[in-house]
Amino acid sequence: MKFVFRLPDVGEGIHEAEVINYEVAVGDAVQADQVVIKVETDKAVVTLPSPVTGTVLETPLNPGDIVEVGGALIVLEAEGDSELTVSENDQLAEVAASKSKKKADKSIPVIAGMETPLSPIQAKRVLATPHTRHLARRLGIDISTVSGTGRAGRVTDDDVHRAAETGPAVSTGHQRSSLVGHDATSAGFDFEKYGPTQREPLKGIRKRIAEVMVRSYTTIPHVTHADEADITDLMNVVRSQKPAAEARGIKLTLTTFLTKAVVAALKQFPDLNASIDDGAGEIVFKNYFHIGIATDTEHGLMVPVVQNADQKSVLQIARDIQQLAEKARNREIDLDELRGGTFTITNPGVIGGIHATPIIQHPQVAILATLAARKRPVVRDDEIVIRTMMPMVIAFDHRLIDGATGARFMNYIISLLQDPMKMMLDMV
Amino acid sequence: MVVGDFAQDVQTVIIGAGPGGYVAAIRAAQLGQEVFLIEKELTGGVCLNWGCIPTKAMIEVSGLKAHLEKASEMGITVKEIRVDLAKLHSWKAGIVQRLRNGVETLLQKNGVELIRGEAIFSEPGKLMVESERGIQRVSYENVIIATGSRPIELADLPFDGATIIDSNAAIELKEPPEHLLVVGAGSVGIELGTVYRNLGSEVTIIETQETLLPWIDPEISRVLQRSIKKAGIDLKLGSRITATESNNGRVSMTIQQNGKKQLLDADKVLIAIGRRPNTDGMGLRELGLQTDDRGFIQVNQKMQTNLAGVYAIGDVVAGPMLAHRASHMGKIAAEVISGEPAAFDNVVVPGVIFSSLEIASVGLTEQQATEQGYSVKAGVFPFRALGRAMTLGEADGVTKVISDADSGTVLGVHIIGSHASDLIAEGGLAVESGAHVDDLSLTIHAHPTLTEGIMEAAEDIEHKAIHIFNPPVKK
Ligand SMILES: Cc1cc2nc3c(=O)[nH]c(=O)nc-3n(C[C@H](O)[C@H](O)[C@H](O)COP(=O)(O)OP(=O)(O)OC[C@H]3O[C@@H](n4cnc5c(N)ncnc54)[C@H](O)[C@@H]3O)c2cc1C
Repeated sequence: MKFVFRLPDVGEGIHEAEVINYEVAVGDAVQADQVVIKVETDKAVVTLPSPVTGTVLETPLNPGDIVEVGGALIVLEAEGDSELTVSENDQLAEVAASKSKKKADKSIPVIAGMETPLSPIQAKRVLATPHTRHLARRLGIDISTVSGTGRAGRVTDDDVHRAAETGPAVSTGHQRSSLVGHDATSAGFDFEKYGPTQREPLKGIRKRIAEVMVRSYTTIPHVTHADEADITDLMNVVRSQKPAAEARGIKLTLTTFLTKAVVAALKQFPDLNASIDDGAGEIVFKNYFHIGIATDTEHGLMVPVVQNADQKSVLQIARDIQQLAEKARNREIDLDELRGGTFTITNPGVIGGIHATPIIQHPQVAILATLAARKRPVVRDDEIVIRTMMPMVIAFDHRLIDGATGARFMNYIISLLQDPMKMMLDMV
Repeated sequence: MVVGDFAQDVQTVIIGAGPGGYVAAIRAAQLGQEVFLIEKELTGGVCLNWGCIPTKAMIEVSGLKAHLEKASEMGITVKEIRVDLAKLHSWKAGIVQRLRNGVETLLQKNGVELIRGEAIFSEPGKLMVESERGIQRVSYENVIIATGSRPIELADLPFDGATIIDSNAAIELKEPPEHLLVVGAGSVGIELGTVYRNLGSEVTIIETQETLLPWIDPEISRVLQRSIKKAGIDLKLGSRITATESNNGRVSMTIQQNGKKQLLDADKVLIAIGRRPNTDGMGLRELGLQTDDRGFIQVNQKMQTNLAGVYAIGDVVAGPMLAHRASHMGKIAAEVISGEPAAFDNVVVPGVIFSSLEIASVGLTEQQATEQGYSVKAGVFPFRALGRAMTLGEADGVTKVISDADSGTVLGVHIIGSHASDLIAEGGLAVESGAHVDDLSLTIHAHPTLTEGIMEAAEDIEHKAIHIFNPPVKK
């Protein structure tokens, strides 16, 4: 039986992927679960295994092609589980072979018409009544792009109306995603008029980052608040414990402790671990603490997530960060490891700088940036002393968090970073 | 009507007046289109004249006979049951005639112009209609191809209309064959095999597949297989024809089953191995229309082909060859031509087979759902636990509801038993609307009816069906 393997819906928000390469060629025998194609989606490169055993008939795509969810990736002649069609072909051939008087026309297209499966059904589909689906078509909305607020993600009439009012109208297929919030685009702008240029397609991770940033920046009213922490004592702890950690193959960094401090602070200030569910008009307080760690890779920014950071020891967190960063850099990271973050930490300080204006990852509501820690003369008890000072900036969603809360959150984190003993007590 | 070189201009031409074409014509006319409907044979197509309707008439009659034969325990003793096939055929012809007149009246009232003859494309935007009266030329803006399908021949046993027959001939036999050999255990083979078995023929059905209707839920096909056997039909699965010989109005056929050779001798052989689309010999290829290697026309959700203004619906489009699918596609094509936002986004096309028991199915089977990554919960309820089934004397059958354990969504409903083809409508609505199993179990179903089976099967998913024993759940 001919089997068309289509790009599965790998998860929320991802509706297309770029082909990197096939791992098999036409004519190859393929086992079920054997990887047949590598594609790039969202922020990761994903390998897709064949759901069936069989032989490759067609590899319709080329590297660089964009394929939408549901689009054909590869066509296989699947083994076994044949339709009646197949057997009847055999039967024709049998009869033909058994007698020589008349020659069977094997080219007769044998179709077991009604003998094909009684009622085909699409793979995981949009949950909506026929009426709602019709409504979406009438309003020019691609219903597969509407997020449903009903039970089990059901798309309701209201969802469709809302999408029609707010979202871009999509008639068929996947829209070209707009990278700008308003009408002002640089499309058609004649850059070449002013000098020579090179052009590259905006695609893959870069494109994804662009989309996410536009959504975050246009949705969230950002407020930033800056301060600095005296991390002299903490750095001593880091330095003194480093060899012990290294002996276990783990790289202990300031970020590890910062993650712990952030989790402790989020427990005190649940607003910063929340999200706004625009559809439902509700504030969602999360009882889990997944901390995104912004990671610079040669392909662009990625934010792997340390899951349940509240339940992990300092060393476990350090190891997680190390492994996730490595996977991200090698592009081996799973989509699941990039999702579900409740708060993000970014550390442009490793490169330098004393101030930044970080952008929150929607639908999170806050992001903390740490900047370059430097030894500086500071005043302590009316004396000038040399301390290691680290500037920090927090950006938060003013729809949910007021300036005072943001400042208190920051103060609390600073109090932990300045006093490793206190941090130990508050680490839960 | 003037016949000649003069080409008539029309907005929409529909070729073929089957359940696809005539429905498209009526909807197009409702939307204000000017419509020509071209038919070379009979209005109503295969379905009305040779398929759905006549076969169901025969199933009913033969089933009634079988029922009466078993009715003594209900207190009916019939001395002698005789079936007058000639009378049956004229009753059946009367039904077909009335329905055909009904369709033609509707077409007329809607202002559809019905043109008798065979359509052949001459160049893009133009076609000719050939009939005894000559050639009529038509130029069109839009054309809907609804030319249906015809039976596939076995190369070595070509139809001769007498001994080796297709379904068209099988519904017109003057008397029940002594031994009817059916090649192919698909819906047509099973339905007509059942008819003649009930009318007294010895019936053998041979099939290459090892399993009967392998795409059907195994729990359902097992019941079917039992009922076929109970009816006295010899079903030979996993068998291949190795030699055939025909002489003097008889066919002898050697088949191989489980490595053993058997010789079968029959006075009628019904070839029911499937149907092929009528897309050849009408200039479609010359037009540049894309078909697949089996001749099916490729369309998108709007029934549009690769050529602008050319639409295709029904059996010429790959997929289950069923009349209701053809009709639904017909409405979509007509609406798309009028600029309406119609699309074939249906989740299910109900499947139906009418044998001594009816089979009807919508959506995923347990196995398909598991393969698609759902965590599946299935509920089953037997007909024998339904009061109504008992009073009908129809205790064989099961209703099965398949659901997604995570969301509770109904993924499929599969029924075998009396009136399954009617019962399935509720399942179709449930799956198409993405209903929750609670929607089935919490809706009050009238008692005593067969529909209670759907309610109880839905309850069985949560182990709370009333009329089969479910041990108490420990909390
Ligand atoms: C024995 C049997 C039993 C069946 N039972 C059922 C059932 O119970 N339920 C069900 O849903 N389906 C059933 N079917 C299937 C059903 O009949 C078909 O799916 C349905 O008829 C398809 O409709 P259609 O409009 O696509 O084509 P058709 O009904 O095949 O109509 C096509 C029409 O086009 C005409 N035509 C073809 N070429 C030309 C041309 N060049 N110019 C002019 N006219 C042309 C033909 O004469 C024909 O009238 C059965 C089929 C058979 C054979």
